[in-house]
Amino acid sequence: MIFREVEDRDLIAKARRGDVDAYGILVSRWEKRIFNYLLRLVGNREEAMDLSQDVFLKAWQNLKKLEDADRFSSWLFRIAHNEAFSLLRKNRPETSLTADPTVADRGARFYPVELTLAVQSALTRLSDDQREAVLLKVYQGFKFEEMAEILGCPVSTIKSRLYAALDLLKDTLAPIGARGVQ
Amino acid sequence: MTCSSVDLKAYMLGELQENEKGLVAAHVRECASCGEEMERLSLTHLALTSLRDEEVPRRIAFVSDKVFEPRWWQRMWHSGPAMGFASAALLACAILAHGYMRPAPMVGPSSTVNTAAVEQRVAAQVNDRVGSIVAAAVAKAVADTEARQDRKTTELLADAEKKFDLERKEDRLATEANLEIIRKEQAQMYMASSGLEVRP
Repeated sequence: MIFREVEDRDLIAKARRGDVDAYGILVSRWEKRIFNYLLRLVGNREEAMDLSQDVFLKAWQNLKKLEDADRFSSWLFRIAHNEAFSLLRKNRPETSLTADPTVADRGARFYPVELTLAVQSALTRLSDDQREAVLLKVYQGFKFEEMAEILGCPVSTIKSRLYAALDLLKDTLAPIGARGVQ
Repeated sequence: MTCSSVDLKAYMLGELQENEKGLVAAHVRECASCGEEMERLSLTHLALTSLRDEEVPRRIAFVSDKVFEPRWWQRMWHSGPAMGFASAALLACAILAHGYMRPAPMVGPSSTVNTAAVEQRVAAQVNDRVGSIVAAAVAKAVADTEARQDRKTTELLADAEKKFDLERKEDRLATEANLEIIRKEQAQMYMASSGLEVRP
Protein backbone atom coordinates (compact mmCIF):
# COMPACT_ATOMS: atom_id res chain seq x y z
CA MET A 1 0.00 0.00 0.00
CA ILE A 2 2.83 2.35 0.86
CA PHE A 3 4.56 1.43 -2.40
CA ARG A 4 1.37 2.22 -4.29
CA GLU A 5 1.07 5.62 -2.59
CA VAL A 6 4.68 6.51 -3.43
CA GLU A 7 4.10 5.56 -7.03
CA ASP A 8 0.96 7.64 -7.17
CA ARG A 9 2.88 10.62 -5.81
CA ASP A 10 5.52 10.20 -8.50
CA LEU A 11 2.87 9.93 -11.19
CA ILE A 12 1.15 13.04 -9.89
CA ALA A 13 4.45 14.94 -9.95
CA LYS A 14 5.06 13.87 -13.55
CA ALA A 15 1.48 14.64 -14.57
CA ARG A 16 1.84 18.11 -13.07
CA ARG A 17 4.73 18.67 -15.47
CA GLY A 18 2.45 17.74 -18.36
CA ASP A 19 3.30 14.06 -18.64
CA VAL A 20 0.14 12.66 -20.23
CA ASP A 21 1.29 9.05 -19.96
CA ALA A 22 1.81 9.35 -16.22
CA TYR A 23 -1.68 10.74 -15.82
CA GLY A 24 -3.02 7.94 -18.01
CA ILE A 25 -1.62 5.40 -15.55
CA LEU A 26 -3.15 7.34 -12.70
CA VAL A 27 -6.53 7.28 -14.42
CA SER A 28 -6.34 3.55 -15.02
CA ARG A 29 -5.72 3.03 -11.30
CA TRP A 30 -8.62 5.11 -10.07
CA GLU A 31 -11.24 4.87 -12.81
CA LYS A 32 -12.95 1.75 -11.41
CA ARG A 33 -13.38 3.20 -7.93
CA ILE A 34 -14.60 6.54 -9.25
CA PHE A 35 -16.97 4.90 -11.73
CA ASN A 36 -18.54 2.61 -9.11
CA TYR A 37 -18.88 5.45 -6.62
CA LEU A 38 -20.64 7.56 -9.25
CA LEU A 39 -22.73 4.63 -10.50
CA ARG A 40 -24.11 3.90 -7.02
CA LEU A 41 -24.69 7.57 -6.44
CA VAL A 42 -26.51 8.49 -9.67
CA GLY A 43 -27.77 4.99 -10.53
CA ASN A 44 -27.18 5.22 -14.29
CA ARG A 45 -24.24 3.67 -16.15
CA GLU A 46 -24.06 6.16 -19.01
CA GLU A 47 -24.28 9.11 -16.68
CA ALA A 48 -21.73 7.54 -14.35
CA MET A 49 -19.43 7.03 -17.32
CA ASP A 50 -19.84 10.60 -18.52
CA LEU A 51 -19.30 11.90 -15.01
CA SER A 52 -16.17 9.77 -14.64
CA GLN A 53 -14.84 11.30 -17.83
CA ASP A 54 -15.57 14.79 -16.54
CA VAL A 55 -13.98 14.02 -13.18
CA PHE A 56 -10.68 12.94 -14.72
CA LEU A 57 -10.71 15.84 -17.16
CA LYS A 58 -11.20 18.35 -14.35
CA ALA A 59 -8.59 16.60 -12.25
CA TRP A 60 -6.10 16.92 -15.11
CA GLN A 61 -6.92 20.58 -15.62
CA ASN A 62 -6.60 21.39 -11.91
CA LEU A 63 -3.81 19.05 -10.93
CA LYS A 64 -1.43 21.93 -10.25
CA LYS A 65 -3.85 23.23 -7.61
CA LEU A 66 -3.50 20.01 -5.60
CA GLU A 67 -1.29 21.11 -2.71
CA ASP A 68 -0.58 17.72 -1.14
CA ALA A 69 -0.10 14.76 -3.47
CA ASP A 70 -0.81 12.38 -0.56
CA ARG A 71 -4.37 13.67 -0.48
CA PHE A 72 -5.00 12.87 -4.13
CA SER A 73 -7.76 10.32 -3.38
CA SER A 74 -9.74 12.74 -1.20
CA TRP A 75 -9.23 15.50 -3.74
CA LEU A 76 -10.37 13.24 -6.62
CA PHE A 77 -13.48 12.08 -4.77
CA ARG A 78 -14.23 15.69 -3.92
CA ILE A 79 -14.32 16.46 -7.63
CA ALA A 80 -16.48 13.38 -8.22
CA HIS A 81 -18.85 14.45 -5.44
CA ASN A 82 -19.23 17.92 -6.96
CA GLU A 83 -19.84 16.52 -10.44
CA ALA A 84 -22.38 13.98 -9.20
CA PHE A 85 -24.37 16.44 -7.14
CA SER A 86 -24.48 18.97 -9.97
CA LEU A 87 -26.15 16.28 -12.02
CA LEU A 88 -28.41 15.07 -9.21
CA ARG A 89 -29.62 18.60 -8.54
CA LYS A 90 -30.32 19.04 -12.24
CA ASN A 91 -32.23 15.87 -13.07
CA ARG A 92 -32.77 13.90 -9.89
CA PRO A 93 -36.13 12.29 -10.91
CA GLU A 94 -34.65 10.71 -14.03
CA THR A 95 -31.64 9.06 -12.44
CA SER A 96 -33.15 6.72 -9.87
CA LEU A 97 -32.75 3.00 -10.18
CA THR A 98 -35.82 0.93 -10.85
CA ALA A 99 -36.18 -0.49 -7.40
CA ASP A 100 -38.03 -3.71 -6.68
CA PRO A 101 -39.58 -3.28 -3.24
CA THR A 102 -40.81 -6.85 -3.13
CA VAL A 103 -37.31 -8.32 -3.15
CA ALA A 104 -36.63 -7.65 0.50
CA ASP A 105 -39.94 -9.15 1.56
CA ARG A 106 -39.26 -12.62 0.24
CA GLY A 107 -38.77 -15.30 2.83
CA ALA A 108 -36.54 -17.56 0.73
CA ARG A 109 -32.74 -17.52 0.59
CA PHE A 110 -31.26 -14.99 -1.79
CA TYR A 111 -29.34 -15.58 -4.96
CA PRO A 112 -26.35 -13.27 -5.49
CA VAL A 113 -28.19 -11.36 -8.20
CA GLU A 114 -31.20 -10.89 -5.95
CA LEU A 115 -29.00 -9.76 -3.07
CA THR A 116 -27.36 -7.25 -5.37
CA LEU A 117 -30.74 -5.93 -6.43
CA ALA A 118 -31.86 -5.76 -2.81
CA VAL A 119 -28.82 -3.77 -1.80
CA GLN A 120 -29.17 -1.47 -4.80
CA SER A 121 -32.84 -1.00 -3.98
CA ALA A 122 -32.09 -0.24 -0.34
CA LEU A 123 -29.44 2.28 -1.34
CA THR A 124 -31.83 4.10 -3.66
CA ARG A 125 -34.26 4.61 -0.79
CA LEU A 126 -31.69 6.71 1.02
CA SER A 127 -31.33 10.42 0.46
CA ASP A 128 -28.45 11.45 -1.78
CA ASP A 129 -26.43 12.68 1.19
CA GLN A 130 -27.01 9.51 3.18
CA ARG A 131 -26.22 7.25 0.25
CA GLU A 132 -23.03 9.13 -0.49
CA ALA A 133 -21.93 8.78 3.13
CA VAL A 134 -22.44 5.01 2.92
CA LEU A 135 -20.58 4.80 -0.39
CA LEU A 136 -17.56 6.72 0.88
CA LYS A 137 -17.39 4.81 4.15
CA VAL A 138 -18.43 1.24 3.32
CA TYR A 139 -17.24 0.96 -0.29
CA GLN A 140 -14.33 3.40 -0.43
CA GLY A 141 -13.07 2.98 3.14
CA PHE A 142 -12.51 6.67 3.90
CA LYS A 143 -12.16 7.84 7.49
CA PHE A 144 -14.65 10.34 8.92
CA GLU A 145 -12.09 13.16 8.61
CA GLU A 146 -11.43 12.34 4.97
CA MET A 147 -15.17 12.20 4.26
CA ALA A 148 -15.57 15.60 5.90
CA GLU A 149 -12.85 16.93 3.59
CA ILE A 150 -14.44 15.41 0.50
CA LEU A 151 -17.95 16.56 1.30
CA GLY A 152 -16.93 19.89 2.79
CA CYS A 153 -18.88 19.51 6.03
CA PRO A 154 -18.15 18.73 9.72
CA VAL A 155 -17.46 15.21 10.96
CA SER A 156 -20.56 15.45 13.13
CA THR A 157 -22.68 15.94 10.01
CA ILE A 158 -20.98 12.98 8.35
CA LYS A 159 -21.70 10.75 11.34
CA SER A 160 -25.29 11.93 11.52
CA ARG A 161 -25.91 11.12 7.84
CA LEU A 162 -24.14 7.79 8.03
CA TYR A 163 -25.81 6.61 11.21
CA ALA A 164 -29.24 7.56 9.91
CA ALA A 165 -28.49 5.66 6.70
CA LEU A 166 -27.36 2.58 8.61
CA ASP A 167 -30.58 2.60 10.65
CA LEU A 168 -32.62 2.64 7.45
CA LEU A 169 -30.50 0.02 5.71
CA LYS A 170 -30.53 -2.21 8.78
CA ASP A 171 -34.29 -2.57 8.64
CA THR A 172 -34.11 -3.79 5.04
CA LEU A 173 -30.84 -5.61 4.77
CA ALA A 174 -30.35 -7.23 8.17
CA PRO A 175 -33.17 -9.78 7.55
CA ILE A 176 -31.67 -10.59 4.15
CA GLY A 177 -28.22 -11.06 5.62
CA ALA A 178 -29.73 -13.30 8.30
CA ARG A 179 -31.32 -15.56 5.67
CA GLY A 180 -28.01 -15.81 3.86
CA VAL A 181 -27.08 -16.14 0.24
CA GLN A 182 -27.82 -19.28 -1.76
CA MET B 1 -19.86 1.36 30.15
CA THR B 2 -23.58 1.98 29.58
CA CYS B 3 -25.61 1.24 26.43
CA SER B 4 -26.07 4.94 25.70
CA SER B 5 -22.32 5.57 25.74
CA VAL B 6 -21.52 2.71 23.39
CA ASP B 7 -21.09 3.74 19.73
CA LEU B 8 -21.80 0.43 18.01
CA LYS B 9 -21.86 1.95 14.53
CA ALA B 10 -18.44 3.55 14.96
CA TYR B 11 -17.20 0.20 16.28
CA MET B 12 -18.63 -1.65 13.27
CA LEU B 13 -17.18 0.93 10.86
CA GLY B 14 -13.68 0.71 12.39
CA GLU B 15 -13.55 4.29 13.63
CA LEU B 16 -12.69 3.54 17.28
CA GLN B 17 -9.30 3.52 18.94
CA GLU B 18 -7.91 0.23 20.24
CA ASN B 19 -8.85 0.89 23.88
CA GLU B 20 -12.39 1.90 22.89
CA LYS B 21 -12.76 -1.21 20.79
CA GLY B 22 -11.95 -3.40 23.80
CA LEU B 23 -14.53 -1.65 25.98
CA VAL B 24 -17.26 -1.91 23.35
CA ALA B 25 -16.48 -5.56 22.65
CA ALA B 26 -16.69 -6.34 26.35
CA HIS B 27 -20.01 -4.50 26.66
CA VAL B 28 -21.49 -6.27 23.65
CA ARG B 29 -20.62 -9.66 25.15
CA GLU B 30 -22.41 -8.77 28.36
CA CYS B 31 -25.41 -6.75 27.04
CA ALA B 32 -28.01 -8.80 25.09
CA SER B 33 -29.75 -5.84 23.40
CA CYS B 34 -26.47 -4.29 22.30
CA GLY B 35 -25.34 -7.74 21.14
CA GLU B 36 -28.47 -8.09 18.96
CA GLU B 37 -28.03 -4.56 17.61
CA MET B 38 -24.42 -5.36 16.83
CA GLU B 39 -25.46 -8.48 14.95
CA ARG B 40 -28.02 -6.56 12.86
CA LEU B 41 -25.42 -3.96 11.99
CA SER B 42 -22.91 -6.65 11.04
CA LEU B 43 -25.48 -8.38 8.81
CA THR B 44 -26.27 -5.03 7.18
CA HIS B 45 -22.60 -4.39 6.56
CA LEU B 46 -22.21 -7.92 5.17
CA ALA B 47 -25.12 -7.37 2.78
CA LEU B 48 -23.72 -4.02 1.66
CA THR B 49 -20.25 -5.40 0.99
CA SER B 50 -21.73 -8.22 -1.09
CA LEU B 51 -22.30 -5.64 -3.79
CA ARG B 52 -19.39 -6.10 -6.15
CA ASP B 53 -17.69 -3.34 -8.09
CA GLU B 54 -18.63 -3.21 -11.74
CA GLU B 55 -16.03 -3.01 -14.43
CA VAL B 56 -15.82 0.30 -16.23
CA PRO B 57 -17.87 -0.25 -19.43
CA ARG B 58 -15.30 1.49 -21.55
CA ARG B 59 -11.96 2.92 -20.76
CA ILE B 60 -11.91 6.52 -19.66
CA ALA B 61 -11.06 8.35 -22.85
CA PHE B 62 -7.85 9.86 -21.74
CA VAL B 63 -4.81 9.33 -23.93
CA SER B 64 -6.92 8.86 -27.05
CA ASP B 65 -9.20 11.77 -26.26
CA LYS B 66 -8.41 14.92 -28.21
CA VAL B 67 -9.24 16.96 -25.15
CA PHE B 68 -6.17 15.68 -23.39
CA GLU B 69 -3.80 16.06 -26.27
CA PRO B 70 -1.72 19.21 -26.27
CA ARG B 71 -2.91 21.66 -28.87
CA TRP B 72 -0.86 22.23 -32.02
CA TRP B 73 0.54 25.48 -30.71
CA GLN B 74 1.45 23.83 -27.39
CA ARG B 75 3.31 21.06 -29.21
CA MET B 76 5.07 23.60 -31.42
CA TRP B 77 5.89 25.85 -28.47
CA HIS B 78 7.66 22.99 -26.72
CA SER B 79 9.51 21.86 -29.85
CA GLY B 80 12.71 23.77 -30.60
CA PRO B 81 13.20 22.61 -34.21
CA ALA B 82 9.55 23.12 -35.03
CA MET B 83 9.63 26.59 -33.51
CA GLY B 84 12.76 27.41 -35.50
CA PHE B 85 11.18 26.13 -38.68
CA ALA B 86 8.03 28.15 -37.98
CA SER B 87 10.10 31.27 -37.36
CA ALA B 88 11.98 30.78 -40.62
CA ALA B 89 8.72 30.20 -42.49
CA LEU B 90 7.22 33.31 -40.92
CA LEU B 91 10.24 35.36 -41.90
CA ALA B 92 10.08 34.04 -45.46
CA CYS B 93 6.38 34.90 -45.64
CA ALA B 94 7.08 38.39 -44.35
CA ILE B 95 9.76 38.93 -46.99
CA LEU B 96 7.48 37.68 -49.75
CA ALA B 97 4.59 39.79 -48.50
CA HIS B 98 6.81 42.84 -48.39
CA GLY B 99 8.00 42.15 -51.91
CA TYR B 100 4.45 41.89 -53.22
CA MET B 101 2.90 44.70 -51.20
CA ARG B 102 5.45 47.51 -51.56
CA PRO B 103 4.76 50.23 -54.23
CA ALA B 104 5.90 49.48 -57.77
CA PRO B 105 9.17 51.15 -58.72
CA MET B 106 8.98 54.28 -60.99
CA VAL B 107 11.39 52.94 -63.59
CA GLY B 108 8.77 51.47 -65.85
CA PRO B 109 5.36 49.91 -66.15
CA SER B 110 6.54 46.43 -65.47
CA SER B 111 5.79 45.29 -61.95
CA THR B 112 8.70 42.94 -62.00
CA VAL B 113 11.98 44.29 -60.76
CA ASN B 114 14.95 43.98 -63.11
CA THR B 115 17.59 43.91 -60.46
CA ALA B 116 20.44 43.61 -63.01
CA ALA B 117 19.38 46.79 -64.81
CA VAL B 118 18.94 48.61 -61.50
CA GLU B 119 22.34 47.48 -60.37
CA GLN B 120 23.89 48.51 -63.70
CA ARG B 121 22.23 51.91 -63.55
CA VAL B 122 23.26 52.46 -59.96
CA ALA B 123 26.81 51.36 -60.79
CA ALA B 124 26.96 53.79 -63.72
CA GLN B 125 25.68 56.63 -61.56
CA VAL B 126 28.14 55.78 -58.86
CA ASN B 127 30.97 55.56 -61.41
CA ASP B 128 30.01 58.91 -62.94
CA ARG B 129 29.79 60.56 -59.58
CA VAL B 130 33.00 59.05 -58.34
CA GLY B 131 34.73 59.85 -61.67
CA SER B 132 33.71 63.49 -61.53
CA ILE B 133 34.79 63.81 -57.92
CA VAL B 134 38.10 62.12 -58.61
CA ALA B 135 38.67 64.19 -61.74
CA ALA B 136 37.96 67.41 -59.87
CA ALA B 137 40.26 66.35 -57.10
CA VAL B 138 42.99 65.41 -59.56
CA ALA B 139 42.57 68.66 -61.48
CA LYS B 140 42.75 70.64 -58.28
CA ALA B 141 45.81 68.74 -57.18
CA VAL B 142 47.47 69.22 -60.56
CA ALA B 143 46.64 72.92 -60.58
CA ASP B 144 48.03 73.32 -57.10
CA THR B 145 51.15 71.45 -58.08
CA GLU B 146 51.57 73.49 -61.26
CA ALA B 147 51.05 76.70 -59.37
CA ARG B 148 53.65 75.65 -56.85
CA GLN B 149 56.00 74.71 -59.70
CA ASP B 150 55.36 78.02 -61.47
CA ARG B 151 56.06 79.95 -58.32
CA LYS B 152 59.23 77.96 -57.78
CA THR B 153 60.33 78.43 -61.40
CA THR B 154 59.63 82.14 -61.23
CA GLU B 155 61.61 82.40 -58.03
CA LEU B 156 64.46 80.39 -59.55
CA LEU B 157 64.43 82.55 -62.71
CA ALA B 158 64.39 85.72 -60.66
CA ASP B 159 67.28 84.42 -58.60
CA ALA B 160 69.15 83.43 -61.76
CA GLU B 161 68.57 86.76 -63.46
CA LYS B 162 69.72 88.58 -60.36
CA LYS B 163 72.79 86.42 -60.26
CA PHE B 164 73.45 86.96 -63.94
CA ASP B 165 73.03 90.73 -63.55
CA LEU B 166 75.54 90.76 -60.75
CA GLU B 167 77.93 88.65 -62.80
CA ARG B 168 77.43 90.88 -65.83
CA LYS B 169 78.12 93.96 -63.73
CA GLU B 170 81.23 92.37 -62.32
CA ASP B 171 82.36 91.38 -65.83
CA ARG B 172 81.73 94.89 -67.21
CA LEU B 173 83.58 96.49 -64.38
CA ALA B 174 86.43 94.06 -64.88
CA THR B 175 86.42 94.70 -68.63
CA GLU B 176 86.35 98.45 -68.16
CA ALA B 177 89.21 98.14 -65.66
CA ASN B 178 91.22 96.02 -68.08
CA LEU B 179 90.51 98.44 -70.98
CA GLU B 180 91.75 101.35 -68.82
CA ILE B 181 94.91 99.42 -68.06
CA ILE B 182 95.39 98.64 -71.76
CA ARG B 183 94.80 102.28 -72.77
CA LYS B 184 97.36 103.40 -70.26
CA GLU B 185 99.91 100.91 -71.47
CA GLN B 186 99.33 101.94 -75.14
CA ALA B 187 99.73 105.58 -74.18
CA GLN B 188 103.05 104.89 -72.42
CA MET B 189 104.24 102.84 -75.36
CA TYR B 190 103.32 105.71 -77.77
CA MET B 191 105.09 108.35 -75.68
CA ALA B 192 108.11 106.15 -75.30
CA SER B 193 108.37 105.63 -79.02
CA SER B 194 107.94 109.30 -79.80
CA GLY B 195 110.44 110.50 -77.12
CA LEU B 196 107.86 112.42 -75.28
CA GLU B 197 107.89 112.72 -71.53
CA VAL B 198 105.37 110.49 -69.96
CA ARG B 199 103.21 112.26 -67.47
CA PRO B 200 101.62 110.05 -64.81
